[in-house]
Amino acid sequence: MASDASATVSGGFVVDQAEQARFMAAKRRLLWRKRLLPVGAVILLLVLWHWAVVAFDIKPFIAPTPTAVFRVLIQRFDILMANLMPTAIEAVCGFLLGNFAAIALATAFVHNRAAEEAFFPIAVMVNTIPVVAKAPILVLLLGNGMEPKIAIAALICFFPTLVNMVRGLQDVNPQALELMRVLSASPREIFLKIRVQNSLPYLFSALKIAASTSVIGAIVGEWIGSVKGIGALIIQATYAFDTPLLYATIAVGSTFSACFFGVIGLIERHVVKWKSDRAG
Amino acid sequence: MTAAVAVSGAIPAGTAAPAKSGAAEAVRCEGVTVRFTTERGTVTALDGVSLAIHAGSFLTLLGPSGCGKSTLLRVIADLVPPSAGKVAVLGAKPEVARRNRDIGFVFQDAALLPWRTALQNVQLPFEVGGAQQRPGTRPPEELLKLVGLAGWENAYPHELSGGMRQRVSIARALVSGPKLLLMDEPFGALDEITRDRLNEELLDVWESTGTTIVFVTHSIYEAVFLSQQVLMLAARPGRVRALVPITLPSPRRLPVRETAEFVALAGLLRRELENC
Repeated sequence: MASDASATVSGGFVVDQAEQARFMAAKRRLLWRKRLLPVGAVILLLVLWHWAVVAFDIKPFIAPTPTAVFRVLIQRFDILMANLMPTAIEAVCGFLLGNFAAIALATAFVHNRAAEEAFFPIAVMVNTIPVVAKAPILVLLLGNGMEPKIAIAALICFFPTLVNMVRGLQDVNPQALELMRVLSASPREIFLKIRVQNSLPYLFSALKIAASTSVIGAIVGEWIGSVKGIGALIIQATYAFDTPLLYATIAVGSTFSACFFGVIGLIERHVVKWKSDRAG
Repeated sequence: MTAAVAVSGAIPAGTAAPAKSGAAEAVRCEGVTVRFTTERGTVTALDGVSLAIHAGSFLTLLGPSGCGKSTLLRVIADLVPPSAGKVAVLGAKPEVARRNRDIGFVFQDAALLPWRTALQNVQLPFEVGGAQQRPGTRPPEELLKLVGLAGWENAYPHELSGGMRQRVSIARALVSGPKLLLMDEPFGALDEITRDRLNEELLDVWESTGTTIVFVTHSIYEAVFLSQQVLMLAARPGRVRALVPITLPSPRRLPVRETAEFVALAGLLRRELENC
């Protein structure tokens, strides 16, 4: 065993202060590299973009410079936010509605195999219809307000969550089920103590997908018929050849999507603290 | 099985082990047969197995793969219904023993719930099946101490080694104070040193709790070291081949494996196993 003054031994690990400091420094360096490299790459791309627009003398209505987009982001911030608001409400409402319905249906499927066999093929069929085809139907059914957008966002979230949730509730360690039988657990206890817990990692991977797709759903819904929202602003900016505004609108929509995704990821870290030996 | 087994101390196939008159029986099986039907046909996993295990003893089920050791354990635990024959656990139907929490089961892969800490896993038996802490049960913290995991109460299964996970699962099986502990190859996936240590500790647990243990393994050395009796099963279909009493003195420590008596018993079982 090492016995110099700076080294201590605990649980098979020899702690050498100097070596430890070197190791931690290397680890910090790698972490900063992982954070800074993407930032650097983005800056590089923006510079390249700016240079290309200027060098090839591209008209602003075809492709604006990043500085022009940035200027619009600041100058027309109030308009952008006023249009983000309805889209955000539609996306979040659709997210809640679609996922709630998917979780409820998955729960019903797990309790009733016959229901799964009857309705799962229908869910698959509905999912094969493209969003752009579903949108006009829903606008006709639900009118021009927020409702059809919420419905589209909900529909787009629904399927991945349904599939993941059914799998998470069913894909349980068979020995855990045998254990529950040895303990004479009721079906309700098996559902709450085993299946629900087991489904959480599956659920959160679906929710993270849904967080970004629900925004897409709301935007597509707004294209069909709306005067406000990110989708409406995209259409208006395109027809007005206001390309810097178009780019700024897209940037706002994407940022919102990314934040939504991040919030779900944050919740996941607080809810699922354990590592599954099954779900990937 | 046609010829009677000509091994000293072994009892011919199909015969029930003699329960000492007066000694309480933990398990009795009479003509237990289990058949599984699949698309490819019917498999007879167990064919007319009869045995008696008296209370407080340590019996090991030993046999080649496919001899139905695990199936027999699951029939006793009321996890698999027998196709024919009778099973009694502590003088009643296995279901009664299961509902009374008289049966503890230790699975091959520990079967801990990954979202629960070590302590929460040991507490699980008190949260389900309408079971409260009745007399005979022990505090979960005390059981974790018994299996050498004091200080690991708040660790999640993924933070524990294979041996530690299996210790938690033994603590969980013991927490309701079972009269019968069924163990399905619990140490099969562990390295040899860990397995040896857990074997010794299991004997300590057995002696301190006085519970009946039925242990499934395919390790001859483990069987000889742990058991008072080894029930050898033959495969396809699974049936009793011999009951071999292990006459080594108790309490046993690992060096007993180097004695001539141990080596002779292991040799005897090996020859039996090769003929299965």
